[in-house]
Amino acid sequence: MAATEPVITLKNFFERAREGALTAVRCGKCSALAIPPKEFCESCHQRAWEPVALSGQGTIASYTIIRVAPARHAAEAPYAVAVVQLKEGVSLLGRIVDLPLDKLQVGLPVKFRPLVVNSQTALGFGPA
Amino acid sequence: MRRVAVIGVGVTKFGKHDRTSAELFAEAARDALADAELPPSAVQALYYGNVVGGETEKQLHTGPQAASVLGIPTVPTTRFETACASSHAAFRHAVMELAAGVSEVVLVGGAERVLNVPTAEATEYFAYASDAVWEQPVGLTFPGVFALIARAHMAKHGTTEEQMAHVAVKNHRHGALNPKAQFQKEITLEQVLRSAYVADPLKLYDCCPFTDGGAAVVLASEEIARQRRRGIWVLGSAAASDSMLMHDKRDLARVPATERAAAAAYRQAGLGPEDVDVVELHDCFTIAEIVATEGLGLFEPGTGGLAAEKGWTSLGGKIPVNTSGGLKAKGHPIGATGAAQIVEVVTQLRGEAGPRQVEGARIGLTHTLGGNTATVLVSLFGRD
Ligand SMILES: [Zn+2]
Repeated sequence: MAATEPVITLKNFFERAREGALTAVRCGKCSALAIPPKEFCESCHQRAWEPVALSGQGTIASYTIIRVAPARHAAEAPYAVAVVQLKEGVSLLGRIVDLPLDKLQVGLPVKFRPLVVNSQTALGFGPA
Repeated sequence: MRRVAVIGVGVTKFGKHDRTSAELFAEAARDALADAELPPSAVQALYYGNVVGGETEKQLHTGPQAASVLGIPTVPTTRFETACASSHAAFRHAVMELAAGVSEVVLVGGAERVLNVPTAEATEYFAYASDAVWEQPVGLTFPGVFALIARAHMAKHGTTEEQMAHVAVKNHRHGALNPKAQFQKEITLEQVLRSAYVADPLKLYDCCPFTDGGAAVVLASEEIARQRRRGIWVLGSAAASDSMLMHDKRDLARVPATERAAAAAYRQAGLGPEDVDVVELHDCFTIAEIVATEGLGLFEPGTGGLAAEKGWTSLGGKIPVNTSGGLKAKGHPIGATGAAQIVEVVTQLRGEAGPRQVEGARIGLTHTLGGNTATVLVSLFGRD
């Protein structure tokens, strides 16, 4: 692979996510972990990425229940969206699925599951 | 660098209008030029903020359009888009043009029109300022972004929904004193707490409204400002950015870009938060005001909720915040907001704010957020 080729593009991140796999990138210079795509490492500004598989396991860092939704999601409301801190240290934003809205709380363990919304792959998090 | 002053201000009534954003800007700019006692021919450049014109009005190239409607079509014009901070970003760049000696008089402003489309449609267009791949498909909205911040602030600092409600009550009380405000009516704590959830824990009354409106300020070099009596000096103007994505933010309870922009603006002005007499800050949601009062150094981290509850940010309090009514009650025509905040602070520093005047105000600060807190501008103003 030429040095100018991206390690993980949005396209292949979401293709893998659709199959149930989350992929981060780790900096070969300073070991910082990041969610792709990133051209340079935010910490050391080098470009030495290596793909790393994420477990998909984490806890809710914050969440909200969207009751007034954008036009294209109006039929899905109310729905919950959360920032999930994964056990590897990086975070991802996703839709909460298969969990009662009144059971949500900061710190609740959850696990990644792929979600297709309006025929677009999105990130979902359900019971751990 | 040369000193720069604001010598004229203008703002439309905020609310629903049956006029285009260009017409709204032109009304505000006409008033700002009259206030500056300058003819349109004195304007050497226009720096303009407009955000969703491409969606709500099917209109791009809104800068030259606004200049044309004002009647100055040959003036160099650039439109700025940094989401809700657009006209504050425009202001900072105009200050730099004047400070660099390129021009003597520059017009800055912005306008937005959104009440001509249904709420769900406007909510979707505003969500375009969040990420199209990572965030929009999940259904994140702007109330949702600030709800995530609110929940994190509550978990970390024990901030309560009632403390957030105090921000709304205070800003409506201020807005009732502002004839240009969209809402000029007081509300009670009960009303806020009983209003329906939009994005838990944020309720309807925690959220600013959709608004049409325009605002403009005339900036001039020191030489021209000295020929007038009511010039207000620009003491500092700084911008900062942060990760675009919510998932890249390390602490959702903070807005680091506010802290960086404030530090830079204070450094330029040789001032600190203790020197500020009046503040217009970005209260798109009540939690945003709480987090901003902390980020600007007005209160210790984690105590912004207490400050709201105790009335420290009210007219007559330690440091009056959002005397105009803020985005919450004055309204939030996103492209105009940064300029409208400057209009209020300049009015305060001139001592012309009438029933909402902060007595003896000498130093004022404006703070504007853009998008998922990825853009922040902070400016400082002072009178002689
Ligand atoms: Zn690195």
